[in-house]
Amino acid sequence: MRTFRLAGALVGAALLAGCAGTGELADDPYAVNDPLEDVNRAIFELNLAVDDYLLVPAAKAYRTVVPELGREAVQNFFANLRTPITLVNDVLQGETERAGHTFTRLWLNTTFGLGGLLDVATYFGVPPAHTEDFGQTFAVWGVEDGPYLMLPLLGPANLRDAAGIAAGFFADPFNIWMGSIDMDWVPYARGVAEAVDTRSRNIETFQTLRETSIDYYATIRSLYQQRRSADIRNEDSSSPSGNPISAGRPATE
Amino acid sequence: MALLRLLLVFVLAAAPAAAAPDPAGFVSELGDKTLEIINKRPPKEERDRRFRAVLHEGFDMQALSRFVLGPHWRTATEQQRSEFVKLFEDWIVSAYGERFSNYSGEQFKVTGQRPESESVTLVTSQIVRPSGGPPIRVDWRVAKAANGFRISDVVVEGISLMVTQRQEFASVIQRNGGQLEALLKVLRERTGQ
Repeated sequence: MRTFRLAGALVGAALLAGCAGTGELADDPYAVNDPLEDVNRAIFELNLAVDDYLLVPAAKAYRTVVPELGREAVQNFFANLRTPITLVNDVLQGETERAGHTFTRLWLNTTFGLGGLLDVATYFGVPPAHTEDFGQTFAVWGVEDGPYLMLPLLGPANLRDAAGIAAGFFADPFNIWMGSIDMDWVPYARGVAEAVDTRSRNIETFQTLRETSIDYYATIRSLYQQRRSADIRNEDSSSPSGNPISAGRPATE
Repeated sequence: MALLRLLLVFVLAAAPAAAAPDPAGFVSELGDKTLEIINKRPPKEERDRRFRAVLHEGFDMQALSRFVLGPHWRTATEQQRSEFVKLFEDWIVSAYGERFSNYSGEQFKVTGQRPESESVTLVTSQIVRPSGGPPIRVDWRVAKAANGFRISDVVVEGISLMVTQRQEFASVIQRNGGQLEALLKVLRERTGQ
């Protein structure tokens, strides 16, 4: 009897969920969870404006002024600065082998690599760098991703990743150190500098993507969600054969 | 004996010109052809023509169209379906031709293959960039077809191009009152028809 009532409740809930969805599309396995789409789109426009008028010009200037070798050092420096957070999250996800690689990478590059400017770890044969963050750890722990969010200035996220971004900001040893010596502005400057550095390497790619997209917002949303899923499954370029990709993707309805 | 020879000729003639022995070989050939187009940088018209030929050789546009439209394929009329298949192909040729034009000097190598289901094989490959940096991982879902193989999806660094396309198109349709016609209209405009 109790089982029946439970089954009835489940069917009722499923029906309600069906009604709450977009009718016919609710059973689409590729439907996106974006209830705040209108707000998100408005913020996306704002971010694009900031990108067009501030970030891209800064990235282009940076590319013109600083030679390739210097930009590589900057990229290495920021990557090394992110490594402690990767290490913490490797450990939190129980990835001991990857944690070991991350730890080796961190001390080699911080010491012999002159504070991270040189990637001597790769030279010494340490496996290529990977990144982990709290959003990925939460996912590994079973936290659902929640609604898609377009964050002002920070870009695409979902509820889980937004919490992860905040956790990463406050748990970062470098940021904590700066806070402790009354240099609270440094973590923000770091964020801006990192954005310029990253953007300087993908200007053309995103420019073309934007021009050839029919709905750029939807394209970015799709790319972000798929990329995050792959990151959570630890499918990086360092694993050439790739891990199994979630099944059921071939060309069927 | 003569009959046997005749039969043999028939069988050989029926086989596709470039019959690849296995999915990996099939992808390798297609990848090389695509890269050749990208690296030679022919004028747009020729690029599009050659790119379209590769598309016909490697992809089943009908099946891909059905996938990217998802639930909207079921409700589409026969006329809408056939127009979409055509527009989708034209659009892929121009949009992806453009997206590829940022690349030059890349090298492509197939790194392995493994069965994913009874009819689908996952072929893994890498694109090595001339600028150095980590190689780009590209996985290909290859399905057996009547004559040879057909690609059902291309997955770049974990991002499925077909899923991306499906979600973008779904968004366009959804934001226009669920009308497939709205998507067809944009595609017509984008492909100059």
